[in-house]
Amino acid sequence: MTELTPTSAALRTTLMRPVAAIPAPWRKPAGLLLLALLVAAFPLVDSNQGDIDAAANACAYILLALGLNIVVGFAGLLDLGYAAFFAIGAYAYGVAASWQLAPAWSSFWQPFALLGLVTHFHAAGLNVVHFNVSFWLMLPLSGLLAAAFGVAFGAPTLRLRGDYLAIVTLGFGEIVPIVARNWPQVTNGAMGLNGVAAPSIGSYSFSVFSTPYYYLGVGLVALGIFVSLRLRDSRMGRAWLAIREDEIAAGASGINRTKLKLTAFATGACFAGIAGTFFVAKLQTATPDMFMFPVSVMVLVMVVFGGMGSVWGVVLGAAILQLLQSWLLQDLTHWIHVLGRAVGSGALQAVDLTQWIELIFGVILVLMMLYRRDGLIPAGTTPVPLSIQQQTIELENGGITLDLAEVARPPEHPKKPMLELRGLVKRFGGLTAVDGLDLTVPAHSVVGLIGPNGSGKTTTFNLISGLDRPDGGTILLDGAPITGLASHQVLERGLSRTFQTIRLFPNLTVLENVMVGAHTRTRAGLLGSILRPPRIAAEEEATREWALQIISIFGNRLLPRLDHRVSTLSYANRRRVEIARALVSRPKLLLLDEPMAGMNPAETRELASQIKSLKDFGLTILLIEHKMDVVEQLADKVVVLDHGEKVCEGSAEEVRANPDVISAYLGRTAAHA
Amino acid sequence: MTASQILFQQIINGISIGAMYSLLALGFTLVYGIIELINFSHFNVFMVGSFIGLGVLQAFGLSGQSVVLTGAALAFVLSVAFMVTMLASGALGVAIERLSLRPLRHVKGPAAMITTIGISYILQNVVMLAIGARSYNYANPLPSTSWQVDGATIQLREVLIWIVAPLLMAALNFFVNHTRMGKAMKATAQDQEAARMMGVEVDRVVMLSFFIGAALAGASGLIFGLYYNFTNFMIGYTAGLRAFTAAVLGGIGSVPGAMVGGLIIGLIESLGGQYLAVRWTDVIIFSILVLLLVFRPTGLMGRMAPNKS
Repeated sequence: MTELTPTSAALRTTLMRPVAAIPAPWRKPAGLLLLALLVAAFPLVDSNQGDIDAAANACAYILLALGLNIVVGFAGLLDLGYAAFFAIGAYAYGVAASWQLAPAWSSFWQPFALLGLVTHFHAAGLNVVHFNVSFWLMLPLSGLLAAAFGVAFGAPTLRLRGDYLAIVTLGFGEIVPIVARNWPQVTNGAMGLNGVAAPSIGSYSFSVFSTPYYYLGVGLVALGIFVSLRLRDSRMGRAWLAIREDEIAAGASGINRTKLKLTAFATGACFAGIAGTFFVAKLQTATPDMFMFPVSVMVLVMVVFGGMGSVWGVVLGAAILQLLQSWLLQDLTHWIHVLGRAVGSGALQAVDLTQWIELIFGVILVLMMLYRRDGLIPAGTTPVPLSIQQQTIELENGGITLDLAEVARPPEHPKKPMLELRGLVKRFGGLTAVDGLDLTVPAHSVVGLIGPNGSGKTTTFNLISGLDRPDGGTILLDGAPITGLASHQVLERGLSRTFQTIRLFPNLTVLENVMVGAHTRTRAGLLGSILRPPRIAAEEEATREWALQIISIFGNRLLPRLDHRVSTLSYANRRRVEIARALVSRPKLLLLDEPMAGMNPAETRELASQIKSLKDFGLTILLIEHKMDVVEQLADKVVVLDHGEKVCEGSAEEVRANPDVISAYLGRTAAHA
Repeated sequence: MTASQILFQQIINGISIGAMYSLLALGFTLVYGIIELINFSHFNVFMVGSFIGLGVLQAFGLSGQSVVLTGAALAFVLSVAFMVTMLASGALGVAIERLSLRPLRHVKGPAAMITTIGISYILQNVVMLAIGARSYNYANPLPSTSWQVDGATIQLREVLIWIVAPLLMAALNFFVNHTRMGKAMKATAQDQEAARMMGVEVDRVVMLSFFIGAALAGASGLIFGLYYNFTNFMIGYTAGLRAFTAAVLGGIGSVPGAMVGGLIIGLIESLGGQYLAVRWTDVIIFSILVLLLVFRPTGLMGRMAPNKS
């Protein structure tokens, strides 16, 4: 946060005085109520039909921006062809509620006529089917149709990395309007669909009045905000944010990235489909030009301007840009013309500021990216600063005092080793990083994996945890093969890990980071997250409780910082968050890759005793560590790697005395000295 | 014309516009090769380049196709036009990099790409607001000389492209492979940090790649004007997307790939227009783009894995 000068701080206090008078828990509902009243009263206060019409149009774009925010802001998937889904929703309703198709009548259509989806038009020499599917039915159907297109298009493309995905979506966004233009039988080509039916309630038709569309649009936007907010703070939303922040860590935390990305893509498309149906019903026409690349860019500008990932920010951003486009620039142009007439300047009278809108969009994009990438209202909240006491608090060294026996899932086959590697091989080009490695980790033990730099320790971890595929060999976890599984499947089977170079989700809070780890142990899906029935609410609460318990392993190191972004934490605390995230999934086996690296001696001792406690709770641990005193203290067995092969294994003392180990670390001469 | 003559004619046309796309594709590939950025501003640097070229030709007193030059006069006017256009476009590319992209070099995520979309919008709309949305008749000193070969017509403008484009590509190839700065570029493309530690001034290399890319886009814009005899503020979008597809087709990051990719896209455009329908050309090209990225993201000649992160 920027520091306020005394004057502006005083001004702020004065301005906030009425707000401060409201009790804190009432502030948010009061604010929402005030907003709702203002929005509801708008058509009554401003009777200008043009203004109400512009506001109704704005609702369609706000809805689009909310949908794109789920794709770009939440899941971090840059979609440059978003208008394609807008078009799909628009044409879906346009065709289903107009005279465009009008096939010849036959008895085939009779059942549809009975359902009220079509009518038999038999007059003026015609004997045709008139499609008049209800707007209210098509609203959700168009959403689903657009979502289906999203899935069909996203399934093969979403595994591409960010910038490639942007291009592929751009291509898709180009293809859809061209198809609309070149397929006149269905879309009436460049002329556009005409005479699309207006929505009606009972016998009241919305016709061409702006006010009912305005209220409908506001209702849809309110729904969009509700869905976005619910999703943001749910299992799904956290998974999307995790993917945006760090894909690899998200996979290693148990998130099925392809599936979650597809869900985000489809959800965003669904918003656009609904917006399209609303927009076409309001305009009662649809032409290919309404869905070209500039529309995709405009919606992107709205999201970027408001703040990627920030629901209220996006609403505000979209509203401001629509206001600018349909009111401010027109009014300014008008006033400049008046001024031009007054001073007799022809140049001024010829100015048309509405043509400047794309230039303004471009300038906004560049300036926001350069100077305010978080947008108008940044996503996430500013945490309460810690008191001096909280910052300087000292934790006594020692193990975990809580009883967390639940942290470790008991092995299903206690007699078998927890982890067994048989002849594991990994080659990178000509280099064999892991060469026929055999390794067993008995259940309820701590095994230390040591070796010089480049000996293949981290590669072994990556193979076990599913980040890399081995070129040969088998990996058994608790008696079952996990060779070649994806990282989220490995985690689901009870193996979690930390990374040598800490991989957290930098812009998520401590609590959110840890809760992501519980992804595979929870079930809330898309609908569950939106509707939040008691079962899902209870699951969410239980996840939060469990995450808090895990975090309290580290005493009050992390507890006062629950709502801090992890990017603001110290190195040691980030390590702790990563370990907590790995533990929250209730693993059978925990892989720790140099957990003590970068920690001072006191912190090292503290973490060592905590790891020991975890072992006492029944967890099996495989540990890479360079600090030999730690390895000696913790490990029941030590395995030494060199050049991807096992040099020796045994107790710490045995290993220390082994000449092969000494030569691996210090060279052959030292071994024979 | 017989069927084979039509085919031959369309191949001639395809290679000519393909060479133009190749030049434009090189800019995408150079910048992507160095800093892994898809540079949308390139689209409209091409468009601005065609207007700069128009301005230079008009400065020689040319207007429309009324003044025809031949011999040394033609060579002189065209060389000056290409040189000024390339230098000015290159300077524009450098300015874009320096002012808007360098501050974002180390920002993760799509920020830099979004910025280039913004720059592209700014260039396009500044041109539109400054000189209007109408199409301009291009000043063109080329005589309408043409040759009949096997029933097909080869015009001078096509021969011109066949001379200029390979010349520029050969120069680029020589520069990248045989000069000190070119080797620094190759090193930076491989590993920016390692190159920096070896004393390569990465900032200069990035700037240079923008300069060369934008200069080639300018040349390409001038060729567009001389070939089609018009230009307007909107030409960047379609041509840019096609050239980008060419870069991906050849394998983005690969210089020879961009050249080959451009020719293939040019042939698809001319043959597709002849044998299918012009209105479906873009659908064909974008479908190729989508399918290619999904099934063979390294392109025909690219070695760069797109999932490197």
